[in-house]
This record gives sequence, structure tokens and C-alpha cells, in this order.
Amino acid sequence: MTVHSPPGLATDRDLRRYDDIRDLLPDVDNPTPLVRLSRSDVGRLDLYLKLEWLNPFGSIKDRAAAYMLDALADAGQLDGKEIVEASSGNTAIALAALAALSGSRLTVTIPDGVPEEKKVLLRMLGAEVWETPDDLCPVDNPRDGAIALARSLAASEGGSRYVMTNQYESRHNVRAHYETTGPEIWRQTDGQIRYFLAGFGTCGTITGVGRYLKERDPTIEVVAIEPQPGHRLPGLKSFAEAKEPGILDRSVVDHVVRVDDEPAYATTKRLFREEGLIVGPSTGAIVHAAARFAVDRSGIAVGVSPDGGHKYTSYFAELLGDEGLPAF
Amino acid sequence: MTQPATDVEITETLDCRGLLCPLPVYKAGVVLSRLASGDVLKLITTDPGALEDIPALARQRGDTLIATEQADGTQTFWLQKGGAA
Repeated sequence: MTVHSPPGLATDRDLRRYDDIRDLLPDVDNPTPLVRLSRSDVGRLDLYLKLEWLNPFGSIKDRAAAYMLDALADAGQLDGKEIVEASSGNTAIALAALAALSGSRLTVTIPDGVPEEKKVLLRMLGAEVWETPDDLCPVDNPRDGAIALARSLAASEGGSRYVMTNQYESRHNVRAHYETTGPEIWRQTDGQIRYFLAGFGTCGTITGVGRYLKERDPTIEVVAIEPQPGHRLPGLKSFAEAKEPGILDRSVVDHVVRVDDEPAYATTKRLFREEGLIVGPSTGAIVHAAARFAVDRSGIAVGVSPDGGHKYTSYFAELLGDEGLPAF
Repeated sequence: MTQPATDVEITETLDCRGLLCPLPVYKAGVVLSRLASGDVLKLITTDPGALEDIPALARQRGDTLIATEQADGTQTFWLQKGGAA
């Protein structure tokens, strides 16, 4: 939809004045903030979180979504087609916002169990949401029903109706982090980063950032956080139950730390209360993993905070039970 | 069960020709979920994978596959919501 409006003021990042919401998308000159955890016990690590929820559409996935859509548009593959993607919410939200801005339609296949908040946000953005059980395929029963469904949508009708951005296989997902997140972290830490921590998910972040940082300094150690099978940490993947994405480059991963839901959520609550950080549960998982990893290590570590906590209030309500309600 | 169900009252028909699995499984599951017990869904597919997937779907959901027909590259399934009467 094009609306004719008088010419506005030009984008000026120093003034934080933007002509278009897309001008907020991050790059090395417009990085997301890096904030030190000053009240958390992470041993002798100096742990910084990269607050990806301060991206314009609310998560780290803004980066990959913009890169993947730009690549499809440049290749002429978006013309007249609807976009389909499998997503636990954040990629879809970014895609939905960007698609809405460019007048495209988005269908999202979303695993069941994703918080209602995300599904409502997607529908608010005009996306069609297909909630999909992980065990959708009753015969071979892979644990990635949403991905299988998105693929079948893209391949059906001779591929004429839908195009899949395919974050699990897209090199543009990796490229987004190699060209933006990685250089931002390198610059924001004056090249002093020793450890980088991110979750296993689509693996665009860990592969793209890990590759960039190791090219700058091969002694930087990359730590992947992996949840347990059956976990409730949206955005993260356990490769004991989900297929490993084609874009994961294991050669840039030095350590894998496995986390349980309970300490991840407990850490999330602590980050709210002790650090004033309104984060999603995957951030809690990453900080909990950092605390375990910190034993006998020191130096600057950067962990990704993929998204904020507002989209998980229904999960947090369950976590809290009666806590914080009047006791009389 | 390779004969058409000619004497069954069909509640709803779902045409999934041209759609690849698991799309017909998904769509059939959505429709069956909103049908009432005893209602019959006639499902038409062209992906041969449906011959395995749809019976498995019926077992998984506790529905009844009344009949299956194969002809001219299409498969037609008659699915009754719920267990056999």
C-alpha cells in the first residue's frame, strides 16, 4: 500500500529520527545495545548481553528476515507470490511486518505450544497462522512438523503460489549475522571478546557470528546452548529431537552447553528482578549456560538476548502461580 | 477398503489435489477437528504419500477410515469422525 505524503525529514541516526521503520534495522553503524550484567554471578567472566529485542520488530530475527526477503526480491522470486515460513514466532513476526510494508502476504506454519501472544501479534500484522503439531506426519514422524508443512506448501501447486524464505537453509540467514551482528560485537567490544554464546535454533546466529569472530581472532571461543528434548524454550532446538539445520557450521562451535527448562526460567525471572531486563526465556537459558561455563574462565563474553519478555507473559503467569498476588 | 463409499452421507468434501504431503494431512486434521462426531469427510488427494499418511492420521486421531478409492492418479478417502459405529 502506497500512501502519498509530503516529503518528511531525512533519516538521521544520530538524532534517532527515521523516515521509515526499516531504517532502524541494525548494522555496524546502528548496532543493538550491548549491556553488561553487573548483578549476576558469572564468576570471572565479564558478561555482556546483546539486546536484540531492541530491533524494530522485536527480536534478533529482524536481521535474517530482512536479508532473506531482500535476496528473494533481488532474484525476482517474490513477484506475485505469497511468502511461507516455518517459525516459532520471531522470524515470522519480522517477516510479517516486512511483508506488510511491501504489500506481500505471509503464511506461517508455527509449532504448537508457541505462546498465544506471538500468534495474536502475527494475525495483527495480517499473517495467516497455521498452528502445526510437531508430530504432524503420522508415518515417519519427524519432530519438525511446521517445517515439513511449510516445505509442502512451497512445493505444492507446482511452486506457483508460495515462496519459502526457509530460514533453516538460507545462506542469507547466516550472511545477516556475518555482515551485521558479528561486526557489531567485534566493534562494541573493541575486539576484546573472548567468548560468544548463542542458542542452537536455526543456527544462523551462531554460524554467522562465530565465523566472523573467528576470522578476526581464531582464539575466540563459541559456545552453543542446546535445550533438552521436549523443552519449552521457543526459538531453541534440541538436535536430539529436531533435524540439524543445513546452515549450521559445526566447525565454528567450540562448546555445547545443555540446559534444562527449570533453571532457564529461574534465570529469566532473576534477570527481570536483579538486572531489570525484560527478556524471553531463551535469554535465561543463555545466561544460565554462561554461569555454568564461567567456571575457571575469565574475560569478556557476549551472549545473545534474542527477544524480550512481553511475548511470553502467559508462560510467565504459569511460572509465577500465586506469586506477587495479595496473600491476604 | 479399495471401494468407494457410495451409500455414505458426506458432511464435507476437501479437495487436496496438487498438494504435497503433509499438507493434505494437516488440512484434513483441521477439518476433522471442527466436524461433529459421526460426520464424514470426503478427502481427495493426488500425492501417493497420502495412502500411508491418511490411514495413519485416522489411527492417530481415533477416527474411522470408512473407504479408500484409487483412480486416475487420485486417491479418495472417506473419513468418519470418531470410532466406528
